[in-house]
Amino acid sequence: MIKAEPKTILYFIWNYFDIVRDLFDTQSKEGIIRKELLEIILEKNKKDIKSQLIEYKILRNINDDFELRDVYYKLVEFILLEFRPLLPEEIEKFKTSISELFRKIKEGINEDKTILLERIRALSSQIKEFTDSVEKNSIRLLNETRELKSNVNQIDYREKIQKASFWIQYYINPLNAILDVNHSESISNKLLDVSEFANQKRLSIADEAIRNSFEQLYSQLVQSGDDLLRQSKLLTNELLPLIERIKTESLILTGWIEFLRSYNKVSPPNLLKARKDSPYSTRTYLNTKEYFEQFIAQVEAVIEPDDENQERWVFNRTLFRQRLSDSLPVENFFDWCTSQLKTDKDEISNEKVFALTSLLFDEDLEIDTASEDSTMLIITKTSKLTVPKLILKKNGVS
Amino acid sequence: MEYPESHKEIVEELLGGRFILSRESHYVTIKENEDFYNLFFKASFNHELQITNEFVRVISDETDENLSRDISIFFAILCYELDKHGKNFLDALQYSEFSIEEVDNLFEETSWVDLVHSNKHLKDSDARKRFIFSSMGKRNIIEKIADDRFAFTAAYKVFIEYAHDLAQNSLDKNTTR
Repeated sequence: MIKAEPKTILYFIWNYFDIVRDLFDTQSKEGIIRKELLEIILEKNKKDIKSQLIEYKILRNINDDFELRDVYYKLVEFILLEFRPLLPEEIEKFKTSISELFRKIKEGINEDKTILLERIRALSSQIKEFTDSVEKNSIRLLNETRELKSNVNQIDYREKIQKASFWIQYYINPLNAILDVNHSESISNKLLDVSEFANQKRLSIADEAIRNSFEQLYSQLVQSGDDLLRQSKLLTNELLPLIERIKTESLILTGWIEFLRSYNKVSPPNLLKARKDSPYSTRTYLNTKEYFEQFIAQVEAVIEPDDENQERWVFNRTLFRQRLSDSLPVENFFDWCTSQLKTDKDEISNEKVFALTSLLFDEDLEIDTASEDSTMLIITKTSKLTVPKLILKKNGVS
Repeated sequence: MEYPESHKEIVEELLGGRFILSRESHYVTIKENEDFYNLFFKASFNHELQITNEFVRVISDETDENLSRDISIFFAILCYELDKHGKNFLDALQYSEFSIEEVDNLFEETSWVDLVHSNKHLKDSDARKRFIFSSMGKRNIIEKIADDRFAFTAAYKVFIEYAHDLAQNSLDKNTTR
């Protein structure tokens, strides 16, 4: 049992990753981490963390020596994309497990539901492991062949051909056979059979849980098919013609391969950052104008607030109707309005004139015009209003 | 003081990061006034001028690292793929015309496809077309021949020399180890 919190362990790995990486490199090279090498690595990094490495179960004792536990070895391998090349036999083993599980699924399709679901799950897991292994191997082989092509180590042509032949004979050709769908015994071909079967069963099986399992398996196989096809293309286009490809060597290509491997760690060629505003920019005039305009002394604009003390005039309809009624008959209505408003302390405004005009709609009034062209002028605060001369009498009074 | 003919355009183009090619009339003006322009760019902007038999460009600390890195990735993958297909990539860059379709095939089938798909300038056909015709075209690194065809100008040599120097440094480092 591990006493430490999971986060503590992850933080520990993050904090001492350089040491973990050194341990990983040592194990990859030597197969084991000798106790002397462990001491040297810890000494070099000036960290005494041996006890934690064991307590957190990152390292395991092998007699007096050590090794990284498989889960941590695989984690570092994956993070660094530095995979051990898998022998074809290590991948080939999936053919047996996949074929066997597939056979049992077919045979037991109408038998116990629980075991059938377990077998489908196991088959899915084996397929996942198989595609992962193929992908990891392709990455490793690609790195190896790129290194041969780049030839930064300047190995001579004979040795280069020997290395290429080795990779082709023991790794690339067998992997190609595993992935070759045209080969009846290839794992890819077997996966096609599984896919076809899963496709039928995901539609025809009555039980919902089993149907869903086949549905998931089928989706996984569609994705795996695409992935494996990509790996197969890689093999055909890039890895199999390796001998042909390493015949030519170019310093420039070496440079490009080195660049692509670590493009984020090297400075690219110098390329001037384009200036947006050169002294001759078409926008220079407007930019300069804008710049100087901010210093121009501007006349201060003052917005005066409305006179807050001014009382708002409210039309007292009852009062004015009474006054009009008392004044009847009126010879000239608008003249009457003007005289009424003039008695008010404020100026005559359009609003006031129109308000008084509404008195004309009183039903008690009889309105008559003096003559068609007889008008008068009212001068208000903002306008000059030409209005007709209206004679007002009390309705019904002659 | 009297400035050389097309002085304004020359300064504008070079400060815009453009390569002025030997076939352009400005190139002759710069060549005829080489000392003046070297001095002018140094005194005015603290930039160096690189004047070769094929182009003129400004070299400065004010470098557009992201663009330069993406153009380098573009050339690196293009050269790698042309070589993989048995072509002499130097001859292809110097003398061949390329179509967008051809570039698409090379970039979609490359084993560096993860890098291609994670790069915003190279991730798909439209992005690559914009990158080639706009970003590289503006700087005179490519010449547009038709809507989907282009050829490289001599500016490609800056990137090829960079790859050459990078390789040389790696080899030197390995020898001294």
